[in-house]
Amino acid sequence: MEFPAALFPSFFGAGPPREEGGPAPVAGWGEHGQVLEGGPGLRQAQPAFVPRRGATGERWEAADAAAVPVLLPSAGCWIPSPAPQDILYRTGVCKKLRAGKSGATLDFARQLGHFFVDHPEDAFGSLGQLLHKNFYLGNSKLKRPARNSTIRMTALVEDIDRLEARRGCPRQHLASRLRWFSHLCRDWLFEVPLGLLADCLHEELMHQWSNLLFDDSLTGGALAWLPPKDGGTSVGHLVHPGGQAMNHLYFQDVVLEELPRARGSPAHFELSGRVRQVAAARVDGEDFVGVRSDYHCGVWRVPGRTGAAPAPLQVIHTDVPASCLTVSPHLPGELSVCTQSGTVYLWSVETGLQQLRHDPQTMFFRDHSPWRWSDFTAHPRVLSCADRTGLQCLDARAPKKCHFDLFKVGEEAGCQQGERVVLPMYLGRAHPSQYLVTTQFSVYVLDERLPLVPILKWAHMMKAPPLFAHLMPGNPGRSHQVLLGASCTQELLLLQYRASFWGVSSGGSQSACQLAGTPQKLHSIAGCLQHLPTQLPHRQHLLQQRLAAPAAGLAATLQEDGLHKSMLVFQLSEAGDVFCQRLTHKAAQSPAPPSRDEATTAPGSSPLFEAPASSPQGLAAALRYRRWLRALSRACRESPQHTWHPSLSQRRLFTRRDLEGPTGPSSLQRQMRQRLRQAMQEGGRIQHWEPLAVQPPPLPQILEPAGGPDPLSTRLTAAWAGDWEQWWEERTSFSVAQRQKALRERRRRQKRARGRRSLSASFTSSLTYQSELSELSDAGLPLLSPGRPPILSQEGSPPAGSPAVRSPPTSPAPDEALLSSQSLRCRGIPKERRKTLRDYLSVWAEGPPEPPEPPGSQASQLCIPSSQSQLSSASQPRRKRPRMGF
Amino acid sequence: SSHEHKLNFRKSKEACLSYIQDALLQKQWKRAAEFLTCYVESLEKDYSREHVGPSEIIWRIGTEILWHHSQSSMKEFNCFMEQMKTLGVKRYLKVCLEHVFHLLCNGQIDEAYQNLSLAESWRFGEQTAIQDKEMKLIEAYRGLLDYYSWSKQKNILVEHSEDGFSDLAVEQEMHSYFRKAAVNLKEIIKIPGVWDVFVKCYVDLLEFYGDHSEACQVLNEYAYNSKFPANPNAHVYLYQFLKRQGESKKSLISALKILHDIVPSHELMIDFNTMLQKSKKRKKRRLGLEVIFAALDYAGWKENAKAWSCLARQMKQIVISEKHLDWIKQEWNSRKDWWPAFHFSRYLAKRNWQENKSLSYEKALVAGILLGKDCKYFKYVSHHGCKAQLKRFRMLKKFVNRHNPVYLRISG
Repeated sequence: MEFPAALFPSFFGAGPPREEGGPAPVAGWGEHGQVLEGGPGLRQAQPAFVPRRGATGERWEAADAAAVPVLLPSAGCWIPSPAPQDILYRTGVCKKLRAGKSGATLDFARQLGHFFVDHPEDAFGSLGQLLHKNFYLGNSKLKRPARNSTIRMTALVEDIDRLEARRGCPRQHLASRLRWFSHLCRDWLFEVPLGLLADCLHEELMHQWSNLLFDDSLTGGALAWLPPKDGGTSVGHLVHPGGQAMNHLYFQDVVLEELPRARGSPAHFELSGRVRQVAAARVDGEDFVGVRSDYHCGVWRVPGRTGAAPAPLQVIHTDVPASCLTVSPHLPGELSVCTQSGTVYLWSVETGLQQLRHDPQTMFFRDHSPWRWSDFTAHPRVLSCADRTGLQCLDARAPKKCHFDLFKVGEEAGCQQGERVVLPMYLGRAHPSQYLVTTQFSVYVLDERLPLVPILKWAHMMKAPPLFAHLMPGNPGRSHQVLLGASCTQELLLLQYRASFWGVSSGGSQSACQLAGTPQKLHSIAGCLQHLPTQLPHRQHLLQQRLAAPAAGLAATLQEDGLHKSMLVFQLSEAGDVFCQRLTHKAAQSPAPPSRDEATTAPGSSPLFEAPASSPQGLAAALRYRRWLRALSRACRESPQHTWHPSLSQRRLFTRRDLEGPTGPSSLQRQMRQRLRQAMQEGGRIQHWEPLAVQPPPLPQILEPAGGPDPLSTRLTAAWAGDWEQWWEERTSFSVAQRQKALRERRRRQKRARGRRSLSASFTSSLTYQSELSELSDAGLPLLSPGRPPILSQEGSPPAGSPAVRSPPTSPAPDEALLSSQSLRCRGIPKERRKTLRDYLSVWAEGPPEPPEPPGSQASQLCIPSSQSQLSSASQPRRKRPRMGF
Repeated sequence: SSHEHKLNFRKSKEACLSYIQDALLQKQWKRAAEFLTCYVESLEKDYSREHVGPSEIIWRIGTEILWHHSQSSMKEFNCFMEQMKTLGVKRYLKVCLEHVFHLLCNGQIDEAYQNLSLAESWRFGEQTAIQDKEMKLIEAYRGLLDYYSWSKQKNILVEHSEDGFSDLAVEQEMHSYFRKAAVNLKEIIKIPGVWDVFVKCYVDLLEFYGDHSEACQVLNEYAYNSKFPANPNAHVYLYQFLKRQGESKKSLISALKILHDIVPSHELMIDFNTMLQKSKKRKKRRLGLEVIFAALDYAGWKENAKAWSCLARQMKQIVISEKHLDWIKQEWNSRKDWWPAFHFSRYLAKRNWQENKSLSYEKALVAGILLGKDCKYFKYVSHHGCKAQLKRFRMLKKFVNRHNPVYLRISG
């Protein structure tokens, strides 16, 4: 490839970046940057100039209003990664603290508390068993002989409760009893020494928090598209991770039609860690796929013959998490690997690993990030290696001696202060010596023949740093397409750049690189939510959470049949969903018609579902969505929620006294209890979470006060009848007794509401989200099947003979009232048992446990030796809320 | 309260901006323009102390919209730009420069020149470093336009002189353009940077007036000053200048040697190799082999038939003469573990044969010498070549078979 005969003018400085500022929201607009004389030349009357930015590019238009799912959601529900509210303090005091310069306040105590509650065996196992007899959790007085060796814990528990209630209060004092107890047993009670445990937890919390701020382990993306082979078929492979812990690797055949369609069942491999990155390159007609998880990297070969199964070639294990894996586009079976300790390896399947560099320090200035990256260059023996401060190229034959700086965060490239390298990528398929470097602010194109000076720079204005990039090389003379993708905001940006604008007519000289057309935003996965039919609120929430999961990968392909050219863009989310969108190419010169999407993307309209019949493709997309939604709700409902069998004795759980209220239960409670007993005897469910029957339930009647119609109605009635004055008289002399009664009523209601609030607060710590998940079933399904246990929910018809239970929609459901901490406490059930009771009830609410999952498909192979097998999936069988590392 | 008001105002401003951004990224220029008219209000109560103020935002977004909006005209664009220039003192030069760029891209050279002259005369207090650079660029671009005018006059003059009469007025005008252009161009190329266009024009001016020493000095400075980036073009310009001047082979070779050291994959390496192969000195011929081997290391040269024929020719010479086989051996040593997979795989043999027969011929010759007659690439190509009854492939097979012992000496 020839070097451009003239480059765009630019200043060149050395040293640290001088330009201040941070993310500028519009920095990429309205600038040509520089111009260069690049027309037919001086022979004509006037020179023609071309701009560095702002030249006309190709027109790509979205074919659909939203991205469409390619694959059905895999069985088993997705475990969302922790959100900021899971690990930060939520109280007002700490918000104020956070607003200051002190940074985020991690809720350390809560996480430690979670650990003690969720894993009591691991936390207190041996001593708990030893002291079991000496702790008494009941409410009654201790008898004489027992009192010598047993202590009553109830008071202590009450103290803890009180402390809980005052959490966040700046003037809280420890109860002396608690202090005494903790002094007494801090050193010996815990299975793991408390200091050590706290250190580990804090470290993990800090790690999780920094991952929340910016997770660079996903750099490069975990989705790869292996285009159809030369044969001309339209079947490519999509390589993507899946499963609850994203530790399964799938090679899925995909037929490229109007909407890409999965064909057959995928080749499937089970790996021993979460797949972070999938990289692929085609050498000599064969695809090589590199897969990176934290401590293992593997390489697969997908032979050129159609229908041949992918074969695993080799696996390496690293002591430090690997941060990069790239596949050589030049030589078969060569990869480059970087680890967080600052080591770069050239990995050849035939000859093994060759260490090229080991340097825990960053290259150009000090930066704390252990992230490293490496990629190939135009020379098969020269590798680039990168950290946050820049890129260097090393010769693998003499890595110590032969190297040069390719990119430096500094004045050389006109960087800003605080700018850091996010993702470097070799653009070899478009131009053998060009390189793409993205930072959180800008995107640079570099030519290794002119190091340090970017031949193209543009502020991309993305809200999150672009962690994924994909190149689609254009034909000679055409523009190349680059897609940039961010993780947490799911942004997708399409850029076009051109390496030659001169044309062959004037001697075929290569010319300087220029950005063509304007950048274009593509649909994100979450963007389809507004087009979906409205769901029940909890379902909507779940769907929203699922669709807004951070993006985890990006792949794309150009498809050309005759005159029609289109681009298919695949996006992978952390939940394992793969969505796809098609862009169609429009001739650049065609006058811009009134943009279709200007009308369709207006908020509120959803062409995807409102008028699907208007176009066959829209119909197909709508059908695809419907199937996906159904599969999603089925997957979430049917996922095996428990791998353990409940082994609770029903008899010893509560004594009669425990369950007896202090003043005797109300009729409602009695009734509830009766049903509870009945359900326990039958071993059935207390409540089932099916959605409403086909016909909507009758509107709940508004509870009216005993006194008759409300004041407004009486007043209106009186006014109508003409004796309004008399009504006013009565009104003003409204008896004091009545007013008191009303006041009492109100207070009671408030109290109840407060009780409910405390329940919802306790949800985050110990209750499962079972109810919400099980409710995500199809609304259209018939409700009752003959084998169902009696229904105890308010929607169902009450069993014959018992009075109708109907409560206003604002009041808690009866069993919730039964479960609330308050009502349990007032029955004297100590806190530990309250939780057990709740868990117990929730177990029976969900029905008998599912049979164990059938063994994996025939194609599945255990490839990577399972040293720390599926930690995340196995240790969290039940909870939907993520917890720190436990 | 006023604080709350400010807060609300800021919020709605940000919301408006995000709508504009959204519209721009979806190429909805009309929608963006409507939002922008609302956003202009933010200028009135500009409380922000941010890095990028509303006036800059309006300039950037407005420009972008006017570039693409179907109903915008050049007149409107000029009008908008004039308004933007008055909006911020700090950005005056930047806006002027961008305005000029747009005029140039639309072929309005004279208007661009006027704008440049106007901007050049602008003074406002102390200039910042960035403004200094912008001013330098403005001067340089004016110099460039002066150069184009000079070049136009020169062409007229050349035509006239062909007709046999001279035009004094044109000549004087041309000289005045020369002076104006030379002053400004000379200034900018002193500052470290990439100034390919400016250097080329300045050298052209100097050469026309016969100031070769100055031109040589300028080019040497541009190529060898360590404060400048390692720009391959600087060396290319120097080489081309030396060639034009009819300099000796030796100085040409030394110029290209440096280019080879910086960019071994530069397309001039073929010229360099041919030049070196013709040389009588052993050392130079040795360098020639090195150069062509190094060039073929790069992915961009993989299918360059010219380069392969250069290598094949030189290797054939060496093999026939049986002298300096150690040169090949040395070059081959650092490549024998990856060239076979990189260049001589069976897949490539098949593809090269299908796409470019002469390329596959040259490569097969090299492969036969380096890897012997059993090499996959050579076997495939010679087999298919003989099958297709091509004479030169039969010769090739004979040649490699005859010289197979060479392979043993090279690989051994």
